Amino acid sequence: MSTYYAGLFADIGILFLGAMSVYIILATGQLSLGNAGFMGIGAYVASFLTVEMQWPLTAALIAAALAAAAIGIVVGFPALRLKGIYLAIATLGFGEMVRSFLLNFDRMGGSGGFHGMKHVSLEYIWLWGGGIFVLIVLLERSRLWLEMRAVHDDETAANLVGLNTTATKVGAFGFGAAVAAVSGGLFAHHHVYIEPGNFGFERSIDFVLAVILGGSTVGAGAVVGAGLLVLLPEWLRFLADWRLAAFGVLLVLVLLTRRQGILDRPLLDKLSLRRARA
Amino acid sequence: MLEMHKLLIGGLMTAALVSGAQVAQAQNQVNIGAIVPSSGPFAEWGRSNTVTLKMLEKEVNDAGGVNGAKLNIVILDDAAKPAQAANNMRKLAGDDKVLAVAGPLTSSACEVTFPVANELKTVTTSQASSKPGVAKANRPWAFRNTVDEGILAKTSVPYFTKTFGAKQVAIIYDAKDAVSTSIATKIMPGVFTEAGVKVINGDAPISFNTGDLDVSAQVTKLKSMNPDGIVIGADYSQAITVIREMKRQGLMKPVIGGTPLISSAILKAAPEIPVVAPATFYSTMDAPKAKKFVANLQPLLRNTSGLPKEIEPSMYDANIYEIVSMYIDAVKKSGVTGKAENLDADRTKIRDYMANLKGYEGFSGAIHFGEDGDAIKNFFIVQGQNGAWETKVTGCSAAGGGC
Repeated sequence: MSTYYAGLFADIGILFLGAMSVYIILATGQLSLGNAGFMGIGAYVASFLTVEMQWPLTAALIAAALAAAAIGIVVGFPALRLKGIYLAIATLGFGEMVRSFLLNFDRMGGSGGFHGMKHVSLEYIWLWGGGIFVLIVLLERSRLWLEMRAVHDDETAANLVGLNTTATKVGAFGFGAAVAAVSGGLFAHHHVYIEPGNFGFERSIDFVLAVILGGSTVGAGAVVGAGLLVLLPEWLRFLADWRLAAFGVLLVLVLLTRRQGILDRPLLDKLSLRRARA
Repeated sequence: MLEMHKLLIGGLMTAALVSGAQVAQAQNQVNIGAIVPSSGPFAEWGRSNTVTLKMLEKEVNDAGGVNGAKLNIVILDDAAKPAQAANNMRKLAGDDKVLAVAGPLTSSACEVTFPVANELKTVTTSQASSKPGVAKANRPWAFRNTVDEGILAKTSVPYFTKTFGAKQVAIIYDAKDAVSTSIATKIMPGVFTEAGVKVINGDAPISFNTGDLDVSAQVTKLKSMNPDGIVIGADYSQAITVIREMKRQGLMKPVIGGTPLISSAILKAAPEIPVVAPATFYSTMDAPKAKKFVANLQPLLRNTSGLPKEIEPSMYDANIYEIVSMYIDAVKKSGVTGKAENLDADRTKIRDYMANLKGYEGFSGAIHFGEDGDAIKNFFIVQGQNGAWETKVTGCSAAGGGC
């Protein structure tokens, strides 16, 4: 593989993890527009641990994920009293808050950014991507997932049958935050430089877009979405100044023809059946 | 439905292959790469860079090419996104096999692209990044054809203080931008204090964010401090917002800032307010090489769709023109073969040429590179008033003077 495609696949892996963080939260019917904030927390915590404390990367990533999960849960409690668009706006506010904090946090470089991380291999990024993907596929086959879907479909009904909807929602928020933090830690160690601008609103939107484009009802959708979001603008380079416009048009076309995203359960079943028959 | 997607994806892949084939070099060709932001927040600079490079390519090829080989400049858009800039670097060095790269423009993009340049052992030179220490952290393959803002301020501040008799100044800056923050919160307060000028709000400079359209509250606060001069840490497009508001509120005090202030547009925002800034090039400068460059480039820029009709060549156009011209010079003078099998050796020759550069004639005079990878060249402290820039002081960025 050329170094160029290796770079792109690393970006896909990082975006895929970010998209997964949104997917998990979305599975309980909550839309988070602030996951770049958790990604930023993960990036800064992991980088601090590897650069200043000389921790090994894997341990730093786990610590960053735990820290972000704790913050996710703390933020999740008050935030999840809000629903739908109000929650989306509150999470957006959280994301901006994290970015502004990092901008003024001189201990980690402030607006000047933070250096010193060691570059990680593409394989390492995808080891995390694959591991978390397997974890989510297993989760999708568990009873817990059914509870999450129940909360997604009708929260009141789920409550009435005795499910602890608050725990489910806050738990999903914490798990999503942890996955976003891993994505951030890997981002920091792939690009070996981070600055608060990396974790702005646009990044959160990329996560949501990858999920919606790839298919928001199956975990594998995020892989497809992340792949397209990274590769399409590159493949459209022959259009020069028009490439981003063409990219937008393609996104609209895909969503017009497949509202549920490119991958959904029937398509996934069809693909796996065909493979099984062959 | 599935068929349609297959068609879509098939079409895209074909397009990708075709565009890949276009850049795959013919034998007798010298390939140079460039990373510019043709879309995104700095699209105007990126697009005018593109026009500049195409002009240079044509000039060189019309004059017989480089050692008889055709010059091919592969220009990639990074949309001012660091990750895209880093991938562009990988594409140019890995797939397109260019000899050297010009760009990227922003310091944020340089921070992630320069390490890739070192990894792939390919020279890259930024046309605009001036955040302190970015090239220094990525030796030996990274260079910047720009001067550290800290060095420039040491000449611009004394001129400003003397000319306007400033006893106290106040600071306003764009907190979202790294270069602006470093100019306003680190460089300027230090240099002004050294010059014996009081910085009224040195501990808590007034900030705004890139993209803010209303800075009236900030300017009211500035006015209440009653300063003799205003330090603006921002690029010209943001600074225009501040200067317009200053005029509206009647705060007609002289302004000082870094190189990102230089543009013709800022002079039109409030012609009565004097603006002092450092530059290594400005479109009305009085030097034969620069005049010829402006005369050739300006009509091309103004005829390009997507660029303003009254646009003038910017300092970054001049810088990227110099960068690629240096590379061409390196190919000519240091025995670069341009053959695929010698790629590594050729790239090393270009790096050594850049590191040991002597007496290359740029627009402001001779250019060479310091140990930290930043350009050492002449600069001007210019004052903009009544719609035109005028050189007031000429300096050199070398530690001991003498360029």
